[in-house]
Amino acid sequence: MDAPHHIGAGPFATTGRSRQGEPWVWLTAAGLTLGVLMALGLFVLILVKGAASFWPRSVERIEIRQDSATTVIAGIITQENERRATDGTLHQQIQIFRGNRDLSGEAFVYLDRKDITATTRPESMLVLERLEYGPAIVEAVALETGGTRVAAEDPAFANELERLLDEGRRLRKQLLRVERRDIGAVSRELEALDRAQRGGTVATQEAAPRRVALEARFEKLRAEALRIRSQLSAATFVGVTADDRELRMATGDLLDVFAPNQAGWTGRLGETLRRVWKFLVENPREANTEGGVFPAIFGTVVMTLVMSLFVTPFGVIAAIYLREYARQGLLVRIVRVCVNNLAGVPSIVFGVFGLAFFVYFVGGFVDRSLYADRLPTPTFGTPGILWASLTLALLTLPVLIVATEEALGAVPRGVREAALACGASKWQMIQRVVLPASLPGILTGIILAMARGAGEVAPLMLVGVVKLAPSLPVDTIAPFIHPERKFMHLGFHIYDLGFQSPDAEAAKPMVFATALLLILVVVILNLAAILIRNRIRKRFATSSF
Amino acid sequence: MQETFDAPDPRRFEVSRATLWFDRLMGWLIRCGGIAVILAVFGILYFVAKEVVPLFRGATVAEAGSAQLPPDAKVLGVDEWGTTAFSYHGGSTVHFTEIATGVRHEHSLAGFEDAEVTACSFDPVRARVAVGTANGRVGSFVVRFERKADDSGGFEVVPRVESEPWFRLEHGSGSVTAVSDGDSGATRLVAVKRGEGASANVAILRLSMKRGLVGKGKLTLLGEHDVTPLLGSEARLLRASQNGMAALIACADGGVRYLLADAGGVSLRQTFEPFADSVPLSMDFLFGGVSAILTGPGGIQEQWSLFRGSEDAERLFGRTKSFPALGDAVPVFASSQRNRTFLTSDDDGGVALRHSTSGDTRWEGEVGIDPALAVMDAKGEHFLVADARGGLRRFHVHDPHPEAGWRAFFGKVWYEGGSGPVWQWQSTGGSDDFEPKFSMMPLIFGSLKGTAYAMLFSVPVALLAAVFSAAFLPQEFKRVIKPLMEIMASLPSVVLGFLAGLWLAPILETRVPSVLAILVLLPLTALAAGFLWCRLPIRVRNRIAPGSEWWLVLPVLALAGWTGWIAGPLVESWCFTCTDPATGGTIADFRLWWPQATGTAFEQRNSLVLGFMMGFAVIPVIFTIAEDALSNVPRPLTSAAAALGASRWHVVRTILLPVASAGIFSALMIGFGRAVGETMIMVMATGNTPITEWNLFNGMRTLSANIAVELPEASVGSTHYRALFLGAVVLFAMTFVMNTAAELLRQRLRERNRIV
Repeated sequence: MDAPHHIGAGPFATTGRSRQGEPWVWLTAAGLTLGVLMALGLFVLILVKGAASFWPRSVERIEIRQDSATTVIAGIITQENERRATDGTLHQQIQIFRGNRDLSGEAFVYLDRKDITATTRPESMLVLERLEYGPAIVEAVALETGGTRVAAEDPAFANELERLLDEGRRLRKQLLRVERRDIGAVSRELEALDRAQRGGTVATQEAAPRRVALEARFEKLRAEALRIRSQLSAATFVGVTADDRELRMATGDLLDVFAPNQAGWTGRLGETLRRVWKFLVENPREANTEGGVFPAIFGTVVMTLVMSLFVTPFGVIAAIYLREYARQGLLVRIVRVCVNNLAGVPSIVFGVFGLAFFVYFVGGFVDRSLYADRLPTPTFGTPGILWASLTLALLTLPVLIVATEEALGAVPRGVREAALACGASKWQMIQRVVLPASLPGILTGIILAMARGAGEVAPLMLVGVVKLAPSLPVDTIAPFIHPERKFMHLGFHIYDLGFQSPDAEAAKPMVFATALLLILVVVILNLAAILIRNRIRKRFATSSF
Repeated sequence: MQETFDAPDPRRFEVSRATLWFDRLMGWLIRCGGIAVILAVFGILYFVAKEVVPLFRGATVAEAGSAQLPPDAKVLGVDEWGTTAFSYHGGSTVHFTEIATGVRHEHSLAGFEDAEVTACSFDPVRARVAVGTANGRVGSFVVRFERKADDSGGFEVVPRVESEPWFRLEHGSGSVTAVSDGDSGATRLVAVKRGEGASANVAILRLSMKRGLVGKGKLTLLGEHDVTPLLGSEARLLRASQNGMAALIACADGGVRYLLADAGGVSLRQTFEPFADSVPLSMDFLFGGVSAILTGPGGIQEQWSLFRGSEDAERLFGRTKSFPALGDAVPVFASSQRNRTFLTSDDDGGVALRHSTSGDTRWEGEVGIDPALAVMDAKGEHFLVADARGGLRRFHVHDPHPEAGWRAFFGKVWYEGGSGPVWQWQSTGGSDDFEPKFSMMPLIFGSLKGTAYAMLFSVPVALLAAVFSAAFLPQEFKRVIKPLMEIMASLPSVVLGFLAGLWLAPILETRVPSVLAILVLLPLTALAAGFLWCRLPIRVRNRIAPGSEWWLVLPVLALAGWTGWIAGPLVESWCFTCTDPATGGTIADFRLWWPQATGTAFEQRNSLVLGFMMGFAVIPVIFTIAEDALSNVPRPLTSAAAALGASRWHVVRTILLPVASAGIFSALMIGFGRAVGETMIMVMATGNTPITEWNLFNGMRTLSANIAVELPEASVGSTHYRALFLGAVVLFAMTFVMNTAAELLRQRLRERNRIV
């Protein structure tokens, strides 16, 4: 390749010629700057907004005077903007998150800045994270357990609260184990028994005692679950909101308590890290608007890995065939053009194909031949993670074929001929010389394919992604891997939260956080690919003949 | 020194058998694998096309049994499954004939013993036969079928007849000569003609079914209206609509009267003359009761539908479609109870299945007898024809997609209720008799509109950036900027779509003038900056290395952006003032100004937002390819031009751009392909309304978004499902053609550069 252009690299001539067309040069420069600004701006925006959604902000106690009536609200200022009223005047409107959805209905209030008479940040304001109704913003009053009452002023209050929170965590874990794992296992056994009976493999007289035993066990577990539930609601947290309403809730529903106005920088940083951690490892709650995104991360990772498992061998084999084995004629050229083009075919078309071919054709066939006893409930004949991975594998196959072909083509002819001259067979030459030399290139292709697959959403909407999957595609229930299950995905999570959620405003921080996570994954994968590619370039630059 | 020379062992140079064997094995494996993968990739097209092909197939019809009915049947009906035909001949019995076995049963009608039936008609929707007697009474009976499992594991169809109350007509005299019944389930209308010739009288009975908590409802007469004076001419054909509120009456003067019955009585809404002064030979409502098929002299067949001529006009009948002519004889007619298919006799003694939406003939052919009566079963799987002597034949119809076809997908179609032929996509509706509208055109239009606005913004930015990067940018920056653009290209589009819909759209909604101002200011200030800069003394200019313009221009751009943002409201208050509909005062608000000035809508999620956000997806694609094309222009060319004294822009304009033009063009095409197929941004940043206008301030529905939104809910194998697949095929074809053209262009460019 020629050295790159750098037209007019030297100093400007002193003649008037040097002015000719200069404005146009500046226009092109503006184009580049705009493009770069757009790219950087987007990253910065997502980074800032995403990071801000974890940062615990102060709770403001705001007194408002409207129509000669004074009201007080406490909340977190989430947005400030200008809004033009119908009479044309501009107003400074602020959006405040006041939480307490169970008491006041709307979690957000909009205020005109000129109505605000006083703003304070009382240290006693607490942000409660709870199981239902989103966060609450209150001041603590007391903790009531049975007959005893610990007032907030009591020095023992903090310890008591901490103890109750810990106990709540322990009990909820226990409850989850009983309800999900144990009861789930019993009902699965019951289902299997039903199926066996219908299929005639188990006689009715044989099945009856087993059924009775299972049902008894089921009842026992349910009683156990009930007992834990009653323990969870044994103690009550009493709080009071800024507008003097009482909030009572079971401490078992309380996940966490944080006093942002008391915390310093380090305290807030700690809280931020804790929130990031919870975001990464917890399950979503309340129609996905609270809690974490662990199942979505898991789903994305598993799907991407399975996809690369499929795409790697096939893509590499196809590329080796095209480059090393096929006779380089018109036909191969046409095939190559077509493969190149497939990389540009809209992803939704692959989704449509995946639905028709994998889900209904292959899945339907598998169901009819292996799971006929479960029909008409489909097992594989419905969207699932396996079909999604296969669809994406097909989608990214052209990417990998093109990258691999390029890498194979970059191996110098001399190296190949040297190998053949030493008596290597064709396969030995490919295996020992060509493949190792092109491995970084292939790796780049795989990483790029993974980046593309991880960020793709449209085809997944057709072949297996759901807003809330009750269980992960890999878990501790035999056979441990469930390729037929539907799954959650970070990209779809963004779409679902932003556009299908009942309260889009409350979901916004969550969407930004998820977007940040997804972007990080994709950017890191891309950066890795770029770094590897740069290293190969250097290597070949020295080893070319 | 003694030299020993041993002949080498020839076996040392022999390749081991295992190596050869393994080599051959791997060779075959890779060949098979490679070919299989390539075939699999092309299988995509095959499988998607396979789902689409059935849409363009006509109906297939096969004879499935025959039987003998008593001769001279007046009414022919059939059960839902097409197994048992019934015929009514007047009198008090209904004949049921099992077509498979030829077994005939008779069921007698309670209350019909002393009735001398002189007229009858059949409403297949409710399976009701309405009758009129010689002494001026009207009555009806309903035929019901039940499917019961029989001993042999099959099913047995058990027929039942239920007589309904009689009503004695108060108006007119003589025997009933024509009767027609229409029932919506809640209201019912019966049109009755008494007598013949000048003394004939037409009455309309309004009935209502009062449903009790238990048991059957009670049929009550709401009123009998003598409509003879309204008609002004002798009635020849009466047809009551399935909606139970309207009737069409064709009169001797050739005029067809449209009567509407409501709580206030019966009124004449319209008189139209479909065939000048000839009386229609036949007139029948289609499924849904909104359209009627009329056959005139010479077999001219037309569809007349109810629609509003203008926004606030009344719904009246108008001619919407014409069908190929039939013969002169009175045609046989039967309409489907599932869709807008109807059966009619054709000009050479056979029958034809026609579909009213597209106006297509689905099937035509011989039935072996001279058809006098016909009926289609409720599932639309069979039709029965009978001749005057009672010969009955059953035909099996397989027509899963009657509403599909080239015309339905790509042509303008006059849908029921519409005021003219349109391109429209509306796949689901609220009621059973909804007419699906599957035009691809609004979706193709939407895709092109979205792409056009995206390209309008992206192409200038991407190409300018590519030119600067390829021609002027120092190598050390290029090494950073190219990967940056590549990463931008791989940004998940769902993130872009979410930012567009939830973040950018609300911000831009109130700031449209600012955005427009910035769009104008940015290029102008860049040009002006360049103009001013090159007028600085050469000493100053040479202090900064050429190629640094991209960061020199940064403060200028920032200033331009800030000025535009601030200037927006000012521009708004000068240019975009309008009267506020709420207060009547003058208000400067672009959102209100735009609809008032142009008559088109302003939406928050509009093409402006979309165009900008699509830029993130399209700019890097175009940039990367165009930059490659420009960078690969052979260096000697540009060096020679520079050596001859051309200024650096002159070199770009006369050498770089023309030589790389094919590559730039191919970059544009690839960018187009990327934009046309983009799904998530389109779903999230547009309103998803299938409209066909180029308005910058509203949205669109693209092919890709349509698939993503509707395919998960479409039932497998339905016309809707296959139409969505057709959308995918169209999308595939669009991008594939574009990409192939781009690829060929690029290859030609490569050849040319090599020659240079």
